Amino acid sequence: MENHVIDIKNISKIYENNTRALDNLSLIIKQGEWTSIMGPSGSGKTTLLNVIGCLDSPTNGKVIINGTEITKLNRNELTRFRRENIGLIFQQYHLVPYLSALENVMMAQYYHSVVNENDAINALKKVGLDHRLDHIPAHLSGGEQQRVCIARALVNEPRILLADEPTGNLDQKNGEVVLKLIKNLHEEGHTIILITHNPQIGKLGDKQLNLVDGKIN
Amino acid sequence: MFWRILRKSITKRKSRIAIAIISVLMGASIATALLSVSMDVSEKVGFEFRKYGANLMVVPKSDIIDVGFPGVDFGAVTDQRYINESDLWKIKSIFWRNNVLGFAPLLYQVVEIGDGENNQNVVLAGTYFNKDIEIIEPYSTYDDPIFNTGIKVISPWWNVNGSWIENSSDNKSSMVGINVAEKIGLKIGDTYTISFIRDYEDQTNISYYDLTIIGIIETDGNEDNQIFVNLQVVQNITGLSGKVHTVQVSALCNNCPVDTFAYEIQGAIPYVDARSVKQLVSAEMNILGKIEDMMFLVTIVALLASALGVMTTMTTSVIERKKEIGLMKSVGAENKKIVALFLGEATIIGIAGGILGYIIGFALSQFIGMSVFNTTISSRIEVLPIAIGISVGVSLLASILPVRRATKVEPAIVLRGE
Repeated sequence: MENHVIDIKNISKIYENNTRALDNLSLIIKQGEWTSIMGPSGSGKTTLLNVIGCLDSPTNGKVIINGTEITKLNRNELTRFRRENIGLIFQQYHLVPYLSALENVMMAQYYHSVVNENDAINALKKVGLDHRLDHIPAHLSGGEQQRVCIARALVNEPRILLADEPTGNLDQKNGEVVLKLIKNLHEEGHTIILITHNPQIGKLGDKQLNLVDGKIN
Repeated sequence: MFWRILRKSITKRKSRIAIAIISVLMGASIATALLSVSMDVSEKVGFEFRKYGANLMVVPKSDIIDVGFPGVDFGAVTDQRYINESDLWKIKSIFWRNNVLGFAPLLYQVVEIGDGENNQNVVLAGTYFNKDIEIIEPYSTYDDPIFNTGIKVISPWWNVNGSWIENSSDNKSSMVGINVAEKIGLKIGDTYTISFIRDYEDQTNISYYDLTIIGIIETDGNEDNQIFVNLQVVQNITGLSGKVHTVQVSALCNNCPVDTFAYEIQGAIPYVDARSVKQLVSAEMNILGKIEDMMFLVTIVALLASALGVMTTMTTSVIERKKEIGLMKSVGAENKKIVALFLGEATIIGIAGGILGYIIGFALSQFIGMSVFNTTISSRIEVLPIAIGISVGVSLLASILPVRRATKVEPAIVLRGE
């Protein structure tokens, strides 16, 4: 039990229009494990990621992350729990357009606790962007923007990284760079949960889950 | 980091912020103009009141239409009537006598000054300066039978260069209004001759009289164009012994009906009319009051328009930045930090709008001052913090709904790939 980072027990998510996005789903993810989640559109992948990322709550069931039952937390507690434990990597990067690469990373520090410029620079160094610190997102390529997004997810040293189609908007070359970074993070011991449509990328995980109609197939 | 995010979010969205600032500026400028005009004009009207000194004016009944106050136009007066000097003590024997601070009779005569070539017509006013009069029948036996009164008592605020006429039997001294002194080139200590033509048909009947200047008066009022001497001087040269044209009465009246004084004075001296100065300036006060009411309404409307402008801009901003808000929340921002960011923006919009509104409002107040009151409005720095306060208040209030909307943005929005 000790190395169960995420323990999901019989969760369902039913939206107001009666859509059942998750259907009595149970899942255990161990410390340092890379889990790839695959499945067709509308299968509940994003809903599952939202629940694990403390961005949404299931209608019923129980979710325990790092020993905390997050399904019992209120909205503010969820926000605090998320910033302490989870790093998010988005398909569309979601960088603040008027802030530089460095400031985008520092913003995550600011909302987490205190700003430390050196730590932020180191995070960008780790993703190979220490020469682009003062560039705003519009002056960075897609691959570079995704690497800023990864640096931002890393800077507060979360144990769990959630990646939603991290290479979905990238060409092959940039996609490979990003995947290599994720592999490195996995090797460093981060628990990684990655959503992808690409079976090749899915195979990189220690575990592959195929989601269909809100259930693990 | 907060200031960095705030500064960059403002500088990168200059046009939106500018629209919000212009919205605030419109309300702030009108509020500034209202405050400046109302403070300044109220003060000026208040000064006009003080300038009159007396708050009651007593005239013979028949003269009431033609005698203005405080300037008297003799040309319009026909069938001139007078008040008997011997009745003046009665003003101090009314029920409200203790509230009568003082009074000053005035007898006017147009005289000529000059060397014969450049003669000037000037109004010579005879009055009491500092005179003890006897109350012949006091209202109460406890009353002091001697009452010290005169123009010095009711108009102590006169700006006098030199000295007042202190002795009521002094027939040589005069106090000259500054405009007269400057026009004729007279200074303190000078002696000059006035001439008075009693009958225009008979040029030979001219009286001459020598006067010495002991004081120069500056009041910014009609007194600046007159010469003041003891009452008996004017009575002597005009032959109107024991007569006066008008009496100015200064009554201490704090929230009491000054008209009651007037009524009582009319009871004591039946052939006079007593009017409160308030009545004389009430038209002016009414206009001021109405303009203030109107400007207050305009300000409210302008501030509402400002609030709508800010609200629209902030709502658009929240909608445009939904993803950004969701992202901030997803990386750990609590609602209070999101609220702080938007209210910070609103505060800066308010401050900038307030300062610019103050500058434009000051220009607007000059325009209103000149076109409505025919006077310049002095700049009032104390209006600046008020203008900024109002602007920041309006801006913050108008931001409440948009900010509530921002707090409701779900962080999950960032994962939906919209």
